[in-house]
Amino acid sequence: MRYRRLLAVPAVALLLAAACGGDDDDDDGGAAPSEGQEENTGTVNLMSAGEPEEVEAYQQIFDDLINSETDYDVEIESVGDFEEQFQIRAEGGNLDVAAVPQPGAIPDLVDSGSIVALEDMGFDIDELNDTLGESFVALGEYKGKHYGLPTNINLKSMVWYPKDDFDAAGYTVPETWDDLMALSDQIVADGGTPWCVGFESEGATGWPATDWMEDIMLRTAGPDTYDQWYKHEIPFNDPAVLAAAEQFGDVMFKDGYVLGGAQATPDIAFGDAPLPMFDDPPGCWLHRQASFINANFPEDAEAGVDYDWFQLPPIDQEGTLFGGELTVVGSNRPEVVDFLNRFIAEDVQCEMGGVQASSRISPNVDVGPDCYANDILADASVILTDSLSSGTGRFDASDLMPAEVGSGTFWTGMIDYMRGGPDNAEQVLDQIEDSWPS
Amino acid sequence: MAIDTEEPTAPPEPGTEESAGRSPARDAVTIGLFALGLVVGAVITWVVLAQALDYMRDRDSNRLLVIGLALALGVGGIFFLFWAMDRLVNMLPRDVSERVRPYVYVGPALVILAVFLIYPVINTIILSFKDNIGQDFVGLDNFKFVFTDPSMLRSIRNTLLWIVLVPLCAVSIGLIFATLADRLRRGEAIAKSLIFLPMAISFVGAAVTWRLVYGFRPEGFGSNVGLLNGIKLGLGQDPVAWLTIRPWNNLLLIVIMIWIQTGFAMVVLSAAIKSIPDEIVEAARIDGASELQVFRHITVPSVLPTIVVVTTYMVINAMKVFDIVYVMGSPEANQTEVIAERMIQWFFLSNNDGRGAAIAVVLFLAVIPVMVWNVRQFRQQEAIR
Amino acid sequence: MSLTVPLPTEVEEAPSGATVTASETVGVRRGGWFTKIVIIAVVVLWLIPTLGVVITSFRPETLADTTGWWTALAHPFRTSEWTIENYRLALDTGGFENAFLNSLAVAVPSTVMPITIAAFAAYAFSWMEFRGRYVLFVLVVGLLVVPLQMALIPILRLYTGGASIGGVQIFPDLDLTGTLPAVWLAHTAFGLPLAVYLLRNYIGSLPSSIIESAKIDGADHFTIFWRLVVPLSVPALAAFAIFQFLWVWNDFLVAYVFLGGTRDTRVLTIALAGLAGSRGQNWHLLTAAAFITMLLPLLVFFSLQRYFVRGLTAGAVKG
Repeated sequence: MRYRRLLAVPAVALLLAAACGGDDDDDDGGAAPSEGQEENTGTVNLMSAGEPEEVEAYQQIFDDLINSETDYDVEIESVGDFEEQFQIRAEGGNLDVAAVPQPGAIPDLVDSGSIVALEDMGFDIDELNDTLGESFVALGEYKGKHYGLPTNINLKSMVWYPKDDFDAAGYTVPETWDDLMALSDQIVADGGTPWCVGFESEGATGWPATDWMEDIMLRTAGPDTYDQWYKHEIPFNDPAVLAAAEQFGDVMFKDGYVLGGAQATPDIAFGDAPLPMFDDPPGCWLHRQASFINANFPEDAEAGVDYDWFQLPPIDQEGTLFGGELTVVGSNRPEVVDFLNRFIAEDVQCEMGGVQASSRISPNVDVGPDCYANDILADASVILTDSLSSGTGRFDASDLMPAEVGSGTFWTGMIDYMRGGPDNAEQVLDQIEDSWPS
Repeated sequence: MAIDTEEPTAPPEPGTEESAGRSPARDAVTIGLFALGLVVGAVITWVVLAQALDYMRDRDSNRLLVIGLALALGVGGIFFLFWAMDRLVNMLPRDVSERVRPYVYVGPALVILAVFLIYPVINTIILSFKDNIGQDFVGLDNFKFVFTDPSMLRSIRNTLLWIVLVPLCAVSIGLIFATLADRLRRGEAIAKSLIFLPMAISFVGAAVTWRLVYGFRPEGFGSNVGLLNGIKLGLGQDPVAWLTIRPWNNLLLIVIMIWIQTGFAMVVLSAAIKSIPDEIVEAARIDGASELQVFRHITVPSVLPTIVVVTTYMVINAMKVFDIVYVMGSPEANQTEVIAERMIQWFFLSNNDGRGAAIAVVLFLAVIPVMVWNVRQFRQQEAIR
Repeated sequence: MSLTVPLPTEVEEAPSGATVTASETVGVRRGGWFTKIVIIAVVVLWLIPTLGVVITSFRPETLADTTGWWTALAHPFRTSEWTIENYRLALDTGGFENAFLNSLAVAVPSTVMPITIAAFAAYAFSWMEFRGRYVLFVLVVGLLVVPLQMALIPILRLYTGGASIGGVQIFPDLDLTGTLPAVWLAHTAFGLPLAVYLLRNYIGSLPSSIIESAKIDGADHFTIFWRLVVPLSVPALAAFAIFQFLWVWNDFLVAYVFLGGTRDTRVLTIALAGLAGSRGQNWHLLTAAAFITMLLPLLVFFSLQRYFVRGLTAGAVKG
């Protein structure tokens, strides 16, 4: 009796095993992307480092323009610690699409097989060059293929000033670097402090200083040397870089130029830095920072009335520094490709520019200034597209360098520079050069 | 379930009687059936779980139902699993069953740990010998880096400070507080809850909390809303950028962790203190012992095993601290680096898998002395028992 | 089944003959003034930082950013000092209720599952003899040191694609990523070392006489565990439950990596984390958010307090 009962058990077991075996066959996840297209899963997940308000607005746009028309849904995620989370997803094999603000991280991920090439997904690079500008598309190039699609651009070479007080004091917007320095001297002579500078940003402290260096480097050494710089075709302590660092020091270390002095800059939160401009009388008059900073201005400050901006003037030549995002793909699926095509298309990009909370400008050359919600973005977009076509525009170098330098020693090197003083420049550059991964 | 006192002996085989000897053949059969039973049980469990899993993983399922299902399966199911395995073990011959049973009890925990923790550890160790994208072997280069880079050496120095101060303060304060709170007639629960509160605040909340204590703004950039600077200004002095003062800023950060972790120490020690039998303490007091003597000679020795446990946990936690250091200012600029923070920095932010993994391996090795100490304590306690 | 057990005598007797003044005894014992003063002092010290956050959470943004929170105490009745706007904005966060339910759906199973598994293991480590019990136990404790960030990528790979060695699938491709069971398993695994450690300590320190006499009475291990050890271990089980619930409730990383940050799956910590804006413009909203997320764990803590009862062992001994 007992034996017969026991024999029944393995028989049942075999049946169950056969039933279970069938279930595991449908493979519909994010497996290795280089194996060619997989099936449509019905969702596309986009990782974004944008602000939650921006991202919510974009989700709305996607819902209206994309989700309503297609058989898949696009979900956009606003990610805090973007670099960390992005790396985890990519290496963990769980990445759909991500808008990466630091393209320098891409080569490593390509080498580890986590990212799909645009060519492999069927994109025509020439078409992309026409729509998005060749220099920008070229940023995603690695080992002969392209891995990143430009989807967002923002202007960095902006100097903000308190317009009402500025005009009242009789100051004029400088056209050249020498004019800018003369203006600063004028402000000092009038008893004020010209520059507000703040570099603190928790674990990322130092990044605004790298923007300064890059702006200056572009305007002194020129775009070609700039390219050699971030590609490490010239060493980090090359005389051209040293000259730019010293020029930077001329502004930072000059007596009375910077509110609080250069040593205090690593302690001042970058978001707090522009605030003295809105005091009465202004604690400072000039603040060099990218286009997003006006989100930190006081609520009641009005653009064009209480504050305005001008482009950082040329030194030895013109230059425009911009940042942005390259969108990368971890999983080659038809809905992903379809989404990307719609994402860079003019209608979606124009809508996104119209979002009030946004500070993004579209790299799509067909997107005109009237798409933008505020005049600041509209004006900036004109400058950007001009610079792209004239070849004087360049992407933020520290975002293109390997992460070890671009998000590591370059930042901390700048802090050391500020704290150590003007004579420190060479030593700082030497250290950064030493840290470049071989 | 009634307590069945004849349970432990194996049920008699059909048609035979329990005689003095057992044939090896029958032993082999029973062991075989036991193994088969395990396999069948596993398969059935798998099928049931798969169905339930499919329901639970569906995002549209009613969440409360999902929780209920998870509880039923997670608790009831797991309990049933243990009970079933225990029954299976009972089928085995007596001496074999007693040798196998402990592994059945410990088994599920070990399996889960093996998959979720041990496998990543092995993965990490392998990575530590490879390059920054985890592809080519580079031998001991990463370890050389760990012990020569100035920032790494600083982080080691700082971590030592953390692992000494945090357990020392948190456990002492927790123990004393738990002892005293135990004696309160009323208000014990409230007092303990208030010390426990910092543990309930999420990490983000704790960061905001302490920024409101240590925060600094230089002249002209707004007023100082940090408590310490508020006090300084009230005394007529200038505000200070507290978190940038090297090396004292380390102590300021350590205070944050002590603030958070003392609650843990207190709760655990409180449970231990409450299991000291009243009679012993009363007897001692009747004998004329002072409170301090009761504390030193009764309380502390009684809860010593728990003190070992709590201290060990604090030490290991202090070794792993990362968030606090990372969020309060720039660790490298302020020289507040610690080992775990360096690990995250190298692995995730500077994208160097090899170095990050090597630092993690150093962390694994650093816990060995703690483990050795635990083994010794463990054996001592068992000897007394 | 009745158990009669002599009182444990392993503990040292206090030295007798010490002279003690009556006032000293009264002051310290049974909650006298010394005890009260020390407790109040420590509590106040501990509360000050929290007080700052709570007060700030009720202040309007401009005030919070321009004046110290202590200034609000000087004028507690001025209505312009206070506002509930921060709370309104925090609660208004897109999908708050959804995130709350998700957090609950993650936290409750993730708390009870490790307890169940660990209790059995802890019992085995305490009261069963087997080869390798020291080594295995210390291994489990040693796993406490594994930083969870190091485990994320390997586990994610397992969830997403399964694992195989040389073509043989040893871990099935369950495609668990983004599902609740994925998070439960991860949290269970991360919580097991501490659970086993704490529970073993407590279970191991139960008077051996109780266990011995139960064995003599003929109870098997399962019965001893279920009927004797578990009821006696309630304080330790409750303590661990609190910690695990707290840790899972406040967790961000594990939920984000394994469940995701999209509108429908994100937990409360993720939903509220975005409040401040990535450039910290709205940090004052975090104060309200911190307070909100803190409420449930505190409630859990408070309600589990009744399990921290004195004399559990003594009572059971006589029963």
